[in-house]
Formats: sequence, C-alpha cells, structure tokens
Amino acid sequence: MESVDFNENGEQAPAGRVQREPGRIVLPGEMVADRPTDMEGCFVAAGRTYVGVISLLREGKVIPLKGHYLPTPGDYVVGIVTEERFSGYNIDLHSAYEGTFSTRDVREEFKVGEVISAKILDVNEVNEATLGEPRKFSGGQLLEVDFVKVPRIIGRGGSMLEMIRSYTGTDLFIGKNGRIYMRGGNTALATLAILKIDREAHVQGLTDRLKEFLEVESKRA
Amino acid sequence: MAGNNNNPNKPKLRDGGRRISGRGDDELRPMSIEVGPMVRPEGSAIVNWGRNKVLAAVYGPREVFPKHLTDPHKALINARYIMAPFSGQEEHGRAGPNRRSIEVSKVIKHVFENNVLVHSFPKTTVDLMLEVLQSDGGTRVSAINAASVALVDAGIPIRDIVSAVSVGKADGKMVVDLDKDEDNWGESDMPLAFSVRTGEMLLFQMDGMLTIEELSTGIDLGFEAAKKVRAIQTDALVRKYAIPGESAQ
Amino acid sequence: MDMDKMILEQVKEEYVKELLKAGKRTDGRALDQYREISVTKGYLRNAEGSALACIGATKVLAGVKFDMLEPFADRPAEGVVMVNCEFSPAAHPGFNPGPPDENSIELARVVDRGIRSAEAVDVAALGATGSPDGKVLGVFIDLYVLDHSGNLTDCAALAAMAALKDAKVPQLKAGKIVRGSDAGRLSLRRNVVTCTFENVAGSYLLDANFEEEVASDGRLTIGVSDDGFVCAGQKSGAASITKDALLGLARATMKKSGELFAHI
Repeated sequence: MESVDFNENGEQAPAGRVQREPGRIVLPGEMVADRPTDMEGCFVAAGRTYVGVISLLREGKVIPLKGHYLPTPGDYVVGIVTEERFSGYNIDLHSAYEGTFSTRDVREEFKVGEVISAKILDVNEVNEATLGEPRKFSGGQLLEVDFVKVPRIIGRGGSMLEMIRSYTGTDLFIGKNGRIYMRGGNTALATLAILKIDREAHVQGLTDRLKEFLEVESKRA
Repeated sequence: MAGNNNNPNKPKLRDGGRRISGRGDDELRPMSIEVGPMVRPEGSAIVNWGRNKVLAAVYGPREVFPKHLTDPHKALINARYIMAPFSGQEEHGRAGPNRRSIEVSKVIKHVFENNVLVHSFPKTTVDLMLEVLQSDGGTRVSAINAASVALVDAGIPIRDIVSAVSVGKADGKMVVDLDKDEDNWGESDMPLAFSVRTGEMLLFQMDGMLTIEELSTGIDLGFEAAKKVRAIQTDALVRKYAIPGESAQ
Repeated sequence: MDMDKMILEQVKEEYVKELLKAGKRTDGRALDQYREISVTKGYLRNAEGSALACIGATKVLAGVKFDMLEPFADRPAEGVVMVNCEFSPAAHPGFNPGPPDENSIELARVVDRGIRSAEAVDVAALGATGSPDGKVLGVFIDLYVLDHSGNLTDCAALAAMAALKDAKVPQLKAGKIVRGSDAGRLSLRRNVVTCTFENVAGSYLLDANFEEEVASDGRLTIGVSDDGFVCAGQKSGAASITKDALLGLARATMKKSGELFAHI
C-alpha cells in the first residue's frame, strides 16, 4: 500500500504553539488577491483573483469546502472498472471524466465492477485520463468522500493516516479522487474515523479530537 | 397586459400613495433560503420569497446525454424550469413543460452559461432542475436565486453568486419585487438578474410600456434590490457552511 | 441556436471577428445598418391577413386567421391575440420537422410580447361579438420562417405587424364567422417593431446576418411602439450586458424604428 504525500492544507501545529488567526468562509465572486494567482478553486478576471467555489480563507490560503475531482497527472486514484473493451478498460474515477488503460499494459484480466488503484499518467485536453500501474483490490471495502477532504484525511506528512492505521490495524489506500479502500483490522472504526474527518475537516484541533475518539473507541472494541 | 386600465377585474395596486401590500417601492417581500435540503443532488436550495416556494437541484458536471450534443470545449448548461400543477392560486395547472416554461428555461440557461466556469469541465453538462412548488409572481427570479445557491452548494465553480429580482411599473410607479397582482395587472414587468460583483445583467426581459427613463430607473432599482438578495443568499450559505471556531464572514 | 453551431458554420466565425476588428462587416454595412427591407402585404388570399417580410435574404411569412373562442377568465370582454412560430425545414438545413423547439418558441413569445404590451390590437373591439355563448374573436398570428439568413426576430415582428395591418375582420352571423366575408379592417391602436442586436466580440451589430449570428456571444431584442415606448425586451445567449449598453441600444432602437415603421 502506498500513498502520495499531501502537504497542502497541512495539519494544525501541535498544541502549545501560538493560536492561529481564525479563518472565514469566502463565497464565489469574492476577491482574494488583487493580482493573478493560481489558487485552488479560484479564477482570474481583469487581473485579479476571485473565489469560484465556497472556501475557507485561512492564513492567506483558500481551502475549498466542496469540489469536483479533475484527473491530474501523477495522482494515485481509486477507480471502478465500468467497461471492458476490445483493447482496454474504462475506469470510473469519481469524477465527470473517465480513465482508461490498455490491455497491452496488463497481464491479468479485469472485470466490470472491480475496484482498482492506478496512477494517472496523462490527461488529454478534455480531461480524460490515461492510467498506469493498475492493481486490483479485493477483500476490503470502499468509502467515498468529497475529494477536497483528502489532504485532511492524510494529514501533514501522512500523520492522520498513520494514526488511524495504528489504532485500527487497517490498511488504507487513499485515492486523491476521494475514494478510500480499506482492508483488514477494525475497518468499522477506520470508517467512523474517516467520516469524522470528512465532517469536521476544517474545525481546529481535529488531530487531538480524533486521537481521543480513536483512543476511546478502540478500547471499547 | 392588454387593456388593463379598462378591465373591471383589475385590482387596485396602490392606495394612499403606497403599494397595497404596504411595502415601500424598493422593498422586497420576506425571503428565506434553505441550503442543501436534498441529499441526492450535488447541490440544492429552496427559496421562499413571498408565497413563492422554488426548489433548485444541481446535478453534474456529468456526461452529456444525448452524446452528440457534447461540446469538447466547455460544459453545457441545461436548465429545466417547471411549475407544479398545484403551484398556482387558481385552477389546477397542466403537468409538464409548456411554451412559457420552455422560454423561461432557455433564458435561465443563458444566465448560467455566463456564470459557471464552463471551460473547467469540457464535454460535460451541469443540469439545473428548477421546480416551482408554489407561485406568487416572480417565480423565474426565485428559481435563478435558488439555482445560484444550489450551484455554490454543489461546489461548481462560478464567477459570482447570481441575484435576481423583478422590477416593474404598477399603477404609475416603478417598484421592485412584483407580487402576483402587480405582475398580472401592472403596466410593465422586467425580470432582471445581476452579477453584483460586476454590475452586469445576466437576465433581461421586459414587457409592458416604459419610457427609456423608466427603463433606466428600473435597472437602478433592480440593482439595489439585487444587492439585498445577494446578502440573503450569502447569509444562508455562510450559516450552512459555518465552521466552529472560525469567524463567519 | 443549436443549428447555428454546425461545424461548417463555426469556421466562418473567424473571418467575421477578424473583419470586425477593423470595424467592418462581412457585407460592408455599418454596424447599425439594416439590409434591404421589403414587405408584401396581402401575399395570401385565404388568410384574413398576411404579409411576407424580407430583410436581406431572410424571409418570414405571417398569416392571420380569426376564430371564435373562449376569452380568458379574468378578461371576459376582450378578444385574444396569439402568436405562433414555425421554423420550416425548408428554411435551413439545421431546421428539423417536429414540435417547436426553444428557439422558435422564444421568437414567437418575444414578438407576442411586443404586440401584447403595446396593445397593438384593439382587443375590446374583438370582445364585442354579441355571441350568445360569450365567445370572443381570437386573432391567430402564425409566423413561417421560409429562409433563414439571420435576424429572424425583426423580420418576424415586421411580418406580424404588417399582416395585422392587412387583416380584415370577417362578419359574424349568430356568433359564427362567415368565412370570406369582410367587416372592415382590424382595429389597431399602435404599431410595434423590434430591433435585434448581436454582441460579436464586444461590438453590437444591428440586423446580424447568418455568419454574424454564428459568431455572436449574445443577443438583445428591444421592441418599441410608434408612440415612443419600449414595449418588449429580451436578452438571449450567454453574454452579459451592462445598463449603459442596454440603454444605448434602446435609444438606437427608437432612432432606427422609423425605418421599419415605414414598411408596415
């Protein structure tokens, strides 16, 4: 199991450090920079940067609260096989756009409905993804969250993910497209933990609350 | 509108220098917005405005059907505005689209073609399902306000929240937010939608008789009213998405 | 319009925009200049009123027929005016047979809006039928687009108004229409015309031809009456519009309308 290291919107600084400034909700049409910048969920008009999707503005960063995944080269994703074609497979990516890979690139056969992990190698001009390194999952379960929450589930340097693993003994593969595959250990508790992060993703002190939650719940089991 | 002034059925729209409802000429009816009342769509909203109750549900971006309509450069916007058979104050309406609802759907589609960042999602469609559950004059502007909030709730990137209001002339005065009688029996009706950020109009329709000066006054009144609508939309969204420990706005 | 977006037509967008950068239109007209306009009233004999309007190569035929029908419940003493529009498959390869699509419905409703708002037709006169069952005269204005070379709206509005002007009200006998009879001209209170502007790369072009419509980002139609009122408005297409631009186009419509009224 591997996952990509997501650092953006990283986890809160450990307790004891200076309390940070509270953020605020920003809505589409609100200006966040008086110059063109490349911020997530934002757009540039007349040389200024505006919010495009409802976001949290905290410490100069725009953190989208909702969004739609667009395949991006280099992302590891969790997909579902939706179609078997003569020359390859169509893969649903929890996105408006599908991915494909060729039968030439794989030795095993895939079936419609199977869950896989894959790396996005390339994306064409209409966002369709070419996938590589497809690997089947089995014996576990799939969970979906809004992809904008994925960095929080992973945590800074993978800290959040590591915490869930250590309390539940569950192997987790986090697709950047908002799909999570879980296998082994206490998957029920892992699910509850991830749903808790999904709900409280941007509430300060999440790491501490989650630790406490896992502590209490794992003892109960 | 024809022959309104001679029609014996025409109710008085003003009395003692005020609108019959008692509202000021620039005063909106009470408006409240529920954000995300539905779970299945990507985003949803219900706008209650006067007695109007309009639901908006957003699906997409998703694959276009039928496929040959696909645009490789941008997302299509599809709007379906429809009035429920029980929505009116009079007789049972016919279910399904009619000529009026097809035209209204078309102009609402144009509003959001300009508003959604359609080039971010080529080859897809964003579907706006707009159901008028109860009508009270101003259903299309209610539907636009609901659709805009639902798009935000859906996380679909847009250039601005769209804020819509109808303006018109009722018994000789330009007023905002026409109620059903003012809409039916007034001299003119002008539904408008604005991007308050840019001041541009995304919807402009007009019927009745106005001078160019009245047209100008009407647009000014409409813009000021749209700012108030935007504040209500913003407030509803911020309350829904409030994060404990962070300041609201 | 969907059919405008046929691939072959899209290719033409580029030269339209290229020329406009130099302030020129493909057919050499000024930005606020109509193509040649002609109106033939009385084009048909069976219809109670008719007119064929041509703007450049665009042709719209309007036919007027009268029928007895139930009045609207809240307007029992008034006749009824109804406008319909048919995009004939003869007019353009992109027009398909079948029920009216959103484009033809929009066109009919915009023309209807102008005629209705300005009270162009004296509906009180149509209501006074003396019919024992309370029925009133209905005026059906049917618009047939015969050849589509852009600016259907202004051409259709012109055809509709001219056909109304041409229309003769039939005689009534015991509440029934006597076909082929003539009880005099339809009573009209005002004339109405529309001016339609297409926003092509930021410039507003009056009376766009087909290529210009294909290149257009949005449309504004303004209807005016011959006594100086704005009586219909419709923004169509994605492009937004500012207040100043809109008022400028409304004033331009007032100025241009005389040219159109002269043909009715």
